[in-house]
Amino acid sequence: MNGWILAAAVVIAAGLGTSLWGVSTGPLKRRVVAQNLSNAIVCPGLLLLAQGYGRTSYVDLALILALLGPVGTLVFARLLAGELADDPPSARVPTWTVAAVGAAVVLVLCAVTGPGRAMVKLLVVGALVVGGNLIASRALSHGFPGVDRG
Amino acid sequence: MADAVVVIALLLVAGAATAAVVNRDPVRQALVLSVLGTALAVLFTVDQAPDVGLSQLAVGSALTPLLIMLAVRKVRRRPAESGEDGEK
Amino acid sequence: MNPRARLWLVVLGGAGLAALLAAACLRLPRFGGGHHPYGDRAVHAALTRHTANTIASVNFDQRAFDTMGEMAILFAAVLGCVVLLRQARDEHRARPRPAEVAPPVRRYALVALPVALVTGLYVIAHGQLSPGGGFQGGVVAATAVHLMYLGADYAALERVRPVEAFEAGDALAASVYLVLGLAGVPAGTAFLANTLLPYGTFDKLSSGGTVPLLNAAIGMEVACAVVVLLARFLDQAVEIEEESGK
Repeated sequence: MNGWILAAAVVIAAGLGTSLWGVSTGPLKRRVVAQNLSNAIVCPGLLLLAQGYGRTSYVDLALILALLGPVGTLVFARLLAGELADDPPSARVPTWTVAAVGAAVVLVLCAVTGPGRAMVKLLVVGALVVGGNLIASRALSHGFPGVDRG
Repeated sequence: MADAVVVIALLLVAGAATAAVVNRDPVRQALVLSVLGTALAVLFTVDQAPDVGLSQLAVGSALTPLLIMLAVRKVRRRPAESGEDGEK
Repeated sequence: MNPRARLWLVVLGGAGLAALLAAACLRLPRFGGGHHPYGDRAVHAALTRHTANTIASVNFDQRAFDTMGEMAILFAAVLGCVVLLRQARDEHRARPRPAEVAPPVRRYALVALPVALVTGLYVIAHGQLSPGGGFQGGVVAATAVHLMYLGADYAALERVRPVEAFEAGDALAASVYLVLGLAGVPAGTAFLANTLLPYGTFDKLSSGGTVPLLNAAIGMEVACAVVVLLARFLDQAVEIEEESGK
């Protein structure tokens, strides 16, 4: 087990464990936030695993998660808009913490990888995961003000 | 020692799957199911099966929640006189 | 059958299943390890056909016939959904009201849609080289189209997604898989045997013989099937209402 896999294990165990606890208990508004953050924290974990196993093709998993994870949160935000409107979720501190972890992991991996196509791909994944996380959080709180049905 | 991360992933999957069963409301189950899908993708990755992990991510992160939430919405839009649908 | 007898039946059946499963688990090879009789042969066969991703070689070359069965299952399942979720006689359609979406969310959806579409095509095209393939890429591409619904509204989605075209595409892609399988038969080889095309250079986009073509056919089939499936679900959830409904 090398340092990258250890880091991935810590990120995934702490992040996904906390998300799991958040998503299975408490009010609905906490659960949707936990669902969103679970995607945004596992994505850097997958990047660390790809680096730890030395297999650049595993980055594709992180890319797909960074793309589709926020889409899943948008599904919940859109179809639960009525139930979330009265008491919108706001989780500024966890959201920005997770975004910072994602950005930090991507920057460290970029520094290790060095310039090239692999680095561009890492930066795309980083932009998608941080941007997607922040937009999905925004969508959960008043993202769909005028969605009644349809 | 290298198996530690496999054990962590297995525990997360077992916890998420149990939580998905224990929650009884379909909306909350869909939310837990989404996290379960992510945990499964991690498990497949640490077991060196990225193809399966990719399938899990593609299906589980957006498609399954969308199908479940659309079905829930259709059921809840039924006329109110036909009784309470589920636990609300 | 009274509840007591039913309970005994469950206990008996469960105990038998548990015993068989435990017996099977005891005979499994150990976790990890270096000896994989099937894996070694599959990797060898994949390398002789210049396919870098052994999984793609297994799915679309060594066991391409199994994949055809899986494709048929998806096709039949979607067909069943289309039949079940059609508009019944006592239902009518109501136009959904346009949705109001916060500007950042709308912008994100419009940026992410082409990115996800291209990623889906990338995953399909690189199926023989890196993890991924027709199924994964097809699902990603089909999901991407539905960002139009999430980021705008149902009317916008309907404009970019003519369902009839996707239904035809689904059937067409399924037939392309069959035709590719039959193409070698006149030359005297087996159905779906990978002898049609040169194997190409290892680890290049055009390697693997018919693997990339079959991958593309599956990708199109899955993408069209998912779009058609979601179209039926969306119809039911958004547009179709029962007569007595609100």
